[in-house]
Amino acid sequence: MSSRLESFTYDDAIVRKFLIATFVWGLVGMLVGLLIALQLATPAMNAGPLLSFGRLRPLHTNAVIFAFAGNAFFTGAYYSTQRLLKARMFSDALSAVHFWGWQLIIVAAALTLPFGYTQAKEYAELEWPIDIAIAVVWVVFAINFFGTIARRRERHLYVAIWFYIASIVTVAILHIFNNLAIPAGPLKSYSIYAGVQDAFMQWWYGHNAVAFFLTTPFLGLMYYFMPKAADRPVFSYKLSILHFWTLVFMYIWAGPHHLHYTALPEWASTLGMLFSVMLWMPSWGGMINGLLTLRGAWHKVVEDPVLKFFVVAVTAYGMATFEGPMLSVKSVNALAHYTDWIIAHVHTGALGWNGFLTFGMVYWLLPRVFQTGLHSRKLAEVHFWLATFGIILYATAIYSAGVTQGLMWRAFDETGRLQYPDFIETTMRLIPMYWVRAAGGLLYIGGMLLFGWNILMTWRKRPATYEVPVIQAAALEPAVAEPAPAHAPAGVLARFMSAAWHRTWERLPVTFTVMTALAVIVASLFEIIPTFLIKSNVPTIASVKPYTPLELAGRDLYIREGCFNCHSQMIRPFRHETERYGEYSKPGEFVYDHPFLWGSRRIGPDLAREGGKYPDLWHVRHMQDPRSITARSIMPKYPWMLTNRIDFDGIQRRVDVMAMLGVPYGDAVNRAPQMARAQAARIASGIAAEGGPAGLDDKEIVALVAYLQRLGTDITRTTAQAPPRLPDAATPGPAPSGTRPATPGGF
Amino acid sequence: MRLSDIMGHADLAGYAEVALVLFLLAFLVIAIAVLAPGRAKEWERASRLPLEDPPRQTPPSPGAPPTDPSISPAAGAGARP
Repeated sequence: MSSRLESFTYDDAIVRKFLIATFVWGLVGMLVGLLIALQLATPAMNAGPLLSFGRLRPLHTNAVIFAFAGNAFFTGAYYSTQRLLKARMFSDALSAVHFWGWQLIIVAAALTLPFGYTQAKEYAELEWPIDIAIAVVWVVFAINFFGTIARRRERHLYVAIWFYIASIVTVAILHIFNNLAIPAGPLKSYSIYAGVQDAFMQWWYGHNAVAFFLTTPFLGLMYYFMPKAADRPVFSYKLSILHFWTLVFMYIWAGPHHLHYTALPEWASTLGMLFSVMLWMPSWGGMINGLLTLRGAWHKVVEDPVLKFFVVAVTAYGMATFEGPMLSVKSVNALAHYTDWIIAHVHTGALGWNGFLTFGMVYWLLPRVFQTGLHSRKLAEVHFWLATFGIILYATAIYSAGVTQGLMWRAFDETGRLQYPDFIETTMRLIPMYWVRAAGGLLYIGGMLLFGWNILMTWRKRPATYEVPVIQAAALEPAVAEPAPAHAPAGVLARFMSAAWHRTWERLPVTFTVMTALAVIVASLFEIIPTFLIKSNVPTIASVKPYTPLELAGRDLYIREGCFNCHSQMIRPFRHETERYGEYSKPGEFVYDHPFLWGSRRIGPDLAREGGKYPDLWHVRHMQDPRSITARSIMPKYPWMLTNRIDFDGIQRRVDVMAMLGVPYGDAVNRAPQMARAQAARIASGIAAEGGPAGLDDKEIVALVAYLQRLGTDITRTTAQAPPRLPDAATPGPAPSGTRPATPGGF
Repeated sequence: MRLSDIMGHADLAGYAEVALVLFLLAFLVIAIAVLAPGRAKEWERASRLPLEDPPRQTPPSPGAPPTDPSISPAAGAGARP
């Protein structure tokens, strides 16, 4: 068979662009992280609406995940894909569209999230126009990537490419289906799913965003850059293939472990746990494969900062992927869920695995893509140690905080009462740990600044004109049937064992991609279809009615301020939870919740049964200045809610969209603003009568109070009691006033 | 009758277990394919792919036509940003 030699070049300009963006956005994301860490330690750091914790937290997570880790993945993928496939990227224009499109999306996120434009879904907060842009740019990337595969000059797709393919395909599926929503304005939408189904979709997405945006792409990078840096092949190629397929098969099932003991059906929760525990094995297979790639090269680790970063990265991967399955076990999860333990787990992965793999990769790439020596190896060493101690400090503090929180929440005294009935007691215990965490973050950012300096100084030493070497490689011969071996195995079993079918399969990326997508889709459907279609999964509760138009507006304000980042709305069926918060949450209570707002963390107390616990005026004062109610509260102030006006006219469109989604709003689709005004006037006059400020009839605080006073009250109504009959403007919205029971919960 | 009613009465209790068995079978097939005898050489070659750097060629003389459009002067020029 003839092998025609072809000449081509690599596009390293795109690699340089993504590399710089990785650093810039990484620094931004980490600085925002430091700010919100300080806001927890001292609430005075919350400066106005744009810089309050609830709005900045999603900016931090999005910046670190999609801007820092995303750009890092693209940097490594553009470099390694061209070399592994022996081909230039399919289209320089598509590469440019991908780069600039992605950066514009990040800028759009940075501009919208502080203004409170959010879908309220973790790691999927961005509103619908940005979601569409993400889908378009992702498709551009996919076309460019698969086009390069089609033009490749190397028949075998190296395992790193498999990981990239799985990531590209799965992220597209996850992103599209979790973000299905009906727009209710230029930057406002409602999820098409509600309650339990929305929670299920969100954590199907949320867990697999971690899997297919932060894990599989970086495993691809590991399988390429570790052998390169160590100058030896991966320890076991067979193990890498098993690693790949087991992850693809199992990861997608594990999402429900984020919803243990919630209103999610028990069977789905158990299934998620089992697959999560099984995930431990392939994950550690991958970790061992990575570490053993350095066999015989450990002496290099001492001298080479690149390998140092890689070793800690892979070790962090091992730690995080041991801890993940452990946290998915229900009894462990019962302690850890909603606590800082989860935050510690996430940061072990993000700072250790994603961060260190990125640093190692970039230090390895710098001399190659800028065609000069690394500015300072010593600075890279200092960066390594600063960042390592930063992680240790961070992790020690936050693991301690998480376990402390979990144990204090569930502690009973000898008389059988909650030992710490006041939530603020548990918060105060964590403050010293929050300071240590901030110190750890500061060290990590210090290392990041050295990293930036090294990049800058290396870039300044670049040649006047980059050399673009011309590469030669044999053209890929058309795919033809494998030549028959001299001694063909006889019999069906023998032919199967020879695995020629698998060889052919690996070389056909279309089939391979379809099979990967099928593994992901089928696994998803096995969980999603029953959750959506089996009626018994979400038993209906007759007394649960839609929110009134004003409550809906208040709910949107709750979303805008990011209250769900600190307060859950999901009481688990544990005695210590029902004692503290009230009756445990039922699936049927959330059937009109587009989106669900169960939250994933309790920096403050759960609010699922908040309705009626306090008088309306209590909420007004609390939102105006939480420390006027609870002296040591770390909650930000929201004084602007007492002056900002409610957009009454905008409520109609929101009610209409809810009605489109199947919420039985009846006559409210015709006169939502009038109904909202009437309810607002009643609440405002009540607040004034209680001795509060007058003239709140059209202020946002009234809508928020209406929503908070409705929370969790529907199931306590009997059918004999009048439910909030929405179509009737004369029917008062449920705005019960009352006093709080014996377990106060200001945060 | 709604689809949710049909699904609710379909007695899908064993649904998850069926899925588990299907995926275990798929895993076994992959494992056999990977560990099948006679593939050691192929895996050995594949594992070395990241370490293979194709030979470089000195840039072609100005008059010589490139064999790949990507090395046209415009694409090949490495003027720094």
